[in-house]
Amino acid sequence: MKSIYRTILIVALSAILVLATAAGVHAYTTANQSSSGYGTDLITQAPPEPEKDTCIQCHVDEEFTNIWTPLGRWVLFGGAGLILLFGIARSASVWRSREKWIPIPTRILSWVDERYQLSEFMKPILAKPVPDWQRRWWYCLGGLTFFLFLVQGVTGIMLAFYYKPTPTEAYASIQFIENEVLLGSAFRMVHHWSANGMIVMAFAHMLRVFIMGAYKPPRELNWVSGVSLLIMTLAFGFTGYLLPWDQRAYWATTVGTEIGGSIPIIGDLALVFLRGGWSITSLTLSRFFAGHILILPLITVGAMGLHFIMIRKQGLMKPL
Amino acid sequence: MSENNQEKGVPFYPDHVALEAKVALGVVILVVVIGVIGLFAPVGLGAPADPMETPLHIKPEWYFLALYQLLRFIPETIGATSPVLAIVLLMIWPFLDQKPDQSKKTVRTRFWLSLIAVVIIIALTIWGEVS
Repeated sequence: MKSIYRTILIVALSAILVLATAAGVHAYTTANQSSSGYGTDLITQAPPEPEKDTCIQCHVDEEFTNIWTPLGRWVLFGGAGLILLFGIARSASVWRSREKWIPIPTRILSWVDERYQLSEFMKPILAKPVPDWQRRWWYCLGGLTFFLFLVQGVTGIMLAFYYKPTPTEAYASIQFIENEVLLGSAFRMVHHWSANGMIVMAFAHMLRVFIMGAYKPPRELNWVSGVSLLIMTLAFGFTGYLLPWDQRAYWATTVGTEIGGSIPIIGDLALVFLRGGWSITSLTLSRFFAGHILILPLITVGAMGLHFIMIRKQGLMKPL
Repeated sequence: MSENNQEKGVPFYPDHVALEAKVALGVVILVVVIGVIGLFAPVGLGAPADPMETPLHIKPEWYFLALYQLLRFIPETIGATSPVLAIVLLMIWPFLDQKPDQSKKTVRTRFWLSLIAVVIIIALTIWGEVS
């Protein structure tokens, strides 16, 4: 009996997939015909005249300057279609079986739970009482740092869609983000201030832990991972600062890397490592960009995981 | 005693999760407000980078200003080495100070120590900003 619905669902989903692919291919081919070549200067190109336009639905609502409109359209219409199909399947199922409908999340949870016994593992965590002394504002500083890190991740990905990490294009791409991209200046503003907030919160969290003496045995390694996370946060700030490639960014990085270069013995190595040579070039920009969006996030997520596992295992230190 | 205190409190789910969600919602509202401000007053850019022309006043971001200001008064090698040493000291601090707190006095000592450090850092930052 149930296999019928499964078949209907599979057929419907395949139909949606085929239609979506066809629509996407159509958009690309028509865009190709009307421009000099897809991918090179499509973004800065103005759309053709409405009467000459072969694919008007490809760039309604300034499609070239924002990814949210097409994304939102796909989510909206795709979601509406899925909801419609789901409604039909659900009505048919209730009508056939004459039983109360079990919500999909409940089904998924019980399906997973049947196989991996997650509730057995989660119940003690969820039911564990939180003592009153833990419900004070100074215990939320670390959590807020993590939350701001998530904000940084989301806004950073949005900015990375349009940023170009080369000396000739970086500055113009930031201008493009601020002036042309839909909500671009809002995302850049949030990324800027959330970075500052993250440093303040991480520092405040460290002061709280230091004053309360929460670094004492058995929590030494948690302190070590926390200090690494603070260094990582500062490194995020340092690498991110060069990316706009304006005078302030360029010369602040010059001075900053020079300070690294004046460390005895390892100074020159550090300078060449940071700059990718003796002076700040496009290689420095690539290096800082890679550090900012790939290396540092990976290390930070790893260190955060360790930090959270340790706090989960040991709990908060009870103050005197 | 401690066992007794552990019992007192609210369940993690849903009571404590609700509190955390409220705090997160507050931050989300703040983020949205900042984003809306950004729409009308963007972060902006300075002049494009020019390796040939050194500007008169080079200043790093505020979180490096204190260090930058400090480097003006002490020789460069010591100035560049001291933050590295400070970070190493910070890293190994729990291995140096292992004795569990016996009274509130040690907590108070650490409070005053960190207050002095914070005041010095803030003073250096402000000094670096105005000079």
